[in-house]
Amino acid sequence: MIPSIEILIPKNLNEVLGILSNQDKNFKIIAGGTDVVTGLKQESNRFINTEVLVDINRIAEVKGIEKRNGKISIGAASTFTEIYTNPIVSSELPILKKAVATIGSLQIRNRATIAGNFVNNAPCADTVTALLVYNATIEIESTNSKREISLQEFLQGPYKTQLKKDEIVTRINIPVPPKTFVGDFYKLGRRQAVAISRITFAVLMELNGNKINEIKIAAGAVTPIGTRFPELEKYAAGKEANNDFIKSLASKLGEEIIKLTGLRWSSEYKLPVVQQMFYQMLKRITKK
Amino acid sequence: MKKEFSVVGKPIIREDGFDKITGRAKFADDYKFDGMLHAVMLRIPETHAKINSINYSEVENDQAVNSIITFADIPGAKKVGMIKNDQPIFCDEVIVTPGDVLAMLVGEDVARLRLALSKIKVKYTPLQTLTDPRKSLEPDAILIHPELGSNLIIHHPLRKGNIEKGFAESDHILEQTYTTQLIEHAYIEPEAVIAIPLGQNGIKIIGSIQNPFSARRIIAAVVNLPLDKVQVIQAQLGGSFGGKDDTMCILSARAAVAAIKVNRPVKIRYTREESILESYKRHPYILNYKVGFKNNGKIKAMKIDILADGGAYCSMSPFVTWRSVVQATGPYEIENVHTDVRAVYTNNPYTGAMRGFGSPQPIFANESLMDEIALQLGIDPVEVRKINGLKAGSITATGQKLQNHDVNLLTVLDTAAKETDFQNKWKKYKKDKSIIQKYDFTKPVFNDSQFIEPDQLIKKGIGLAASYRGCSLGAEGIDAAACYLSIQNDGSVYLLSGLAENGQGLRTTFSIIVAEELGITTDNIFYLETDTSRVPDSGPTVASRATLMGGGAVKNAAEILRGRLEELIRAEWKLKNSDEIIFHDNKILTTDNRQLTTYKDLCKLATNRGVNLATIGWYKSPNVDWNEHTGQGDAYFTYVYGCQVAEVSVNLGTGEVYLDKITAVHDPGTVINKLGAEGQIYGGVTQGAGYGILEEATTENGLIRELNFDQYLILTAKDIGEIKPIFVEGKEIYGPWGAKSLGEPTLELTAAAISNAVSNALGKRFFSLPLNLEEVLLGKKLRPVEVKRGSLQ
Ligand SMILES: Cc1cc2nc3c(=O)[nH]c(=O)nc-3n(C[C@H](O)[C@H](O)[C@H](O)COP(=O)(O)OP(=O)(O)OC[C@H]3O[C@@H](n4cnc5c(N)ncnc54)[C@H](O)[C@@H]3O)c2cc1C
Repeated sequence: MIPSIEILIPKNLNEVLGILSNQDKNFKIIAGGTDVVTGLKQESNRFINTEVLVDINRIAEVKGIEKRNGKISIGAASTFTEIYTNPIVSSELPILKKAVATIGSLQIRNRATIAGNFVNNAPCADTVTALLVYNATIEIESTNSKREISLQEFLQGPYKTQLKKDEIVTRINIPVPPKTFVGDFYKLGRRQAVAISRITFAVLMELNGNKINEIKIAAGAVTPIGTRFPELEKYAAGKEANNDFIKSLASKLGEEIIKLTGLRWSSEYKLPVVQQMFYQMLKRITKK
Repeated sequence: MKKEFSVVGKPIIREDGFDKITGRAKFADDYKFDGMLHAVMLRIPETHAKINSINYSEVENDQAVNSIITFADIPGAKKVGMIKNDQPIFCDEVIVTPGDVLAMLVGEDVARLRLALSKIKVKYTPLQTLTDPRKSLEPDAILIHPELGSNLIIHHPLRKGNIEKGFAESDHILEQTYTTQLIEHAYIEPEAVIAIPLGQNGIKIIGSIQNPFSARRIIAAVVNLPLDKVQVIQAQLGGSFGGKDDTMCILSARAAVAAIKVNRPVKIRYTREESILESYKRHPYILNYKVGFKNNGKIKAMKIDILADGGAYCSMSPFVTWRSVVQATGPYEIENVHTDVRAVYTNNPYTGAMRGFGSPQPIFANESLMDEIALQLGIDPVEVRKINGLKAGSITATGQKLQNHDVNLLTVLDTAAKETDFQNKWKKYKKDKSIIQKYDFTKPVFNDSQFIEPDQLIKKGIGLAASYRGCSLGAEGIDAAACYLSIQNDGSVYLLSGLAENGQGLRTTFSIIVAEELGITTDNIFYLETDTSRVPDSGPTVASRATLMGGGAVKNAAEILRGRLEELIRAEWKLKNSDEIIFHDNKILTTDNRQLTTYKDLCKLATNRGVNLATIGWYKSPNVDWNEHTGQGDAYFTYVYGCQVAEVSVNLGTGEVYLDKITAVHDPGTVINKLGAEGQIYGGVTQGAGYGILEEATTENGLIRELNFDQYLILTAKDIGEIKPIFVEGKEIYGPWGAKSLGEPTLELTAAAISNAVSNALGKRFFSLPLNLEEVLLGKKLRPVEVKRGSLQ
């Protein structure tokens, strides 16, 4: 049962910050509510003590998608439908667009927001891998501070982030990737819609002929949270993207995941699939 | 000669369609009454436990609690059941499965009631549990219901011919074991019911109830009232699929006990979690098949041993498994058959009726086996089925001779094969050995040879499954149905059947039958609210019997009234008895197309002449017979035939099965509502496909892990490709214009067809449903160790 909870609907960012700075009560930001409401209903420990919900859907500062100074700035409360249908995202951030398209169903995408996804930080949050390979940074504000840090840094562990009680994520900033970069996103669920990811990964790379200049690799759901693989990226930089090397890279991803996660009940299935499908993706990207 | 129909067989939009899509339709939970209270259930987090004491002292003076309802408040039967009275309304001494309810709290506010529940102190001693049905009949097994002396719910033997001789005469013998999983009905509307006390007049129930007459019987027994003092009204039903029978009878009885005690209306409304926890499921089966066959493909002998997990209560297990024993060989004529089907008690969630009702499990087994025979002999799946398939005059496993209807097995098989170019595709996709890798978990990191070249990743496959299915109840019990029909003096019509709408479109189908008979359109017909006080008991809406039996009664009623109108016409227009009168397009015509009058004017005339334009129609099935010791007899009075072809793509890297196309060829007899019939196929195939590749309720010591739809997954529209319905309308002497059954046949074949298609794609056979990711890739199921979800921490 959802306990009765007060809801505040502030009209601008200052009001939100003012509300959050009051530490007497347990406030919780609500954007799309697709994690908050289900969490409350399931009496999840992360939500159960909430006394006041702060609805941020009317805050202009956390909405809108624009390109400025070589960066794409996405309002934290942009819904996945807004992101999916945005022309800047379509032309500059195809990996994010693809990730967004796999989320839930149309109804969920119409409500759920991008910041909600990574602030909740489930292992299976689908946009995280895409944002990580794009080197996304996030802007965080409170009444007495404003900071911008990398998403990687922000995410601390399953359902844990750096967010403090008086803070709100306002924007996600992504440096526009040079046109020479190509990549892809992969998600495996148990069905084709409204599916929790069993495996996700994203790749963004620059090829010079057949040589890998630079590669960024992130995976989720097979790791405790969405994670980049710096060792792997270093290993691959400067290598020929031939069949043998791609195979070795895919095997190495398997090794790295075992290092991070250990062997679990699901590894018996997930490990062969991750390596196989990662190989398939690299073949697809390098063939282009 | 085939009659030209004006309404029958046309696509007619359901009469409740607009109300449902606009939200106007009233479901049980939409009803509210002055002074209405709510009831919540007391359970303990155990699977099998002895209740030592229940201490209510902390809630007795709680303002939120109007009343505590326990075992002691039940005026009548303390235990009930569809067949055996083994299921308590409230458990006072022991619980035998996690869904069991000890007592109820009744009050105005559900949230406060739930809080009060946590203050009740239950002292109990956990007992040893029995969750493996294979151990239920072992001599040292604990007894789930000690008073019954055994965990055996039922044993159906079937003996035909001489099994030893059959095997001796066979050139090949094949033996395999198959397993099928526990699944949930997953109706979109969870259980809800309201009981309204009527003082001297008994009790009125409004609920999401599949079978109002079954509910009435159980409520009457529990509250100790005669049947006429228990009025059951069916609200719009948000899905049932066989699932809103026992559970709803028991919930209705609990609400009735409470309403009578507090003398106010009482509502019970389940959350999804409670619904999945307490409601019954589809039986998991373990099926052992041994088959002997000749070099030419002819099957000589089949020995079948089936064990069904009935869970904690008997419910419909004896009937579910009876259908299995009748149909277990599949639609094939086999001289020597030796079948044993047993259902046993365990501490698992109880299992009962679900669309298909004991057929999807054996079909998965016997249709897998047919393909194996074909492969072993180097013939194709169509051929092996043709060699053995039932034809007119064939003798079934139960010794019944098939006659008096088109035995259309080979027709549906041929139609399906031609439509899909089955044989060519099957040969093209066929693999001689398994192409799925073996993974060694001790070496989880891939070596180079394990990577699959991209153009080899996806493999296509095609597979089919065929069945015959006995229509209606067969030898399960008395099989008759009633219908009330009343024409008003302006020609408008009231119609009410004793069978209940389950969301399948029965009201529309019945309206079509009346419209056809009276030469009017369905918008002239008003279908009345289903109410046990208004129409005779017609048995349950189960076994795909509504169109056949209920439709038969509707047609009978319409014929009676039409007969009276014809009599009046003959007198009025001085026609001879032999002159045919045509009711068409709201007009009354002679065969030479002379209009005598309009339908409306005729109704007015009839009223003025004192003709009785109201009647009860009746339809009773012909006799069937059954010998329970030998499993021989005319099990059902007629059968339907179906064949489905699945075309799939399988991902060798992930084990995903993509459902490209399902072609469903069915002989339901005459199609009454084309739109409704196609709808049955789309729905049944989708459910059957979910059974094939995805759905499963897993348990941890009897407790279901997947208590909501975030974890219990059913297919979405995106998971299924094209579904192509094809009807072969065979001739039939029973039912309205020869209309028979369709609802369940559409579901029972799909999983088996898909499994055969996946085997065709991979060169590897599967023995355990569902063919989920792990089953396809690793050949086994993987289970989480922890029941608790990460997101809850
Ligand atoms: C049916 C269903 C299907 C789903 N399918 C998917 C799926 O396929 N893939 C997937 O990744 N997820 C899925 N989800 C989960 C969920 O939709 C996503 O995580 C979504 O992005 C959450 O966004 P929201 O706006 O709804 O978050 P909310 O529920 O509003 O908030 C989630 C958390 O983020 C915090 N928060 C939100 N905005 C901010 C902000 N600007 N600053 C600081 N904190 C903030 C909230 O306080 C809360 O702790 C699904 C959920 C449902 C119910």
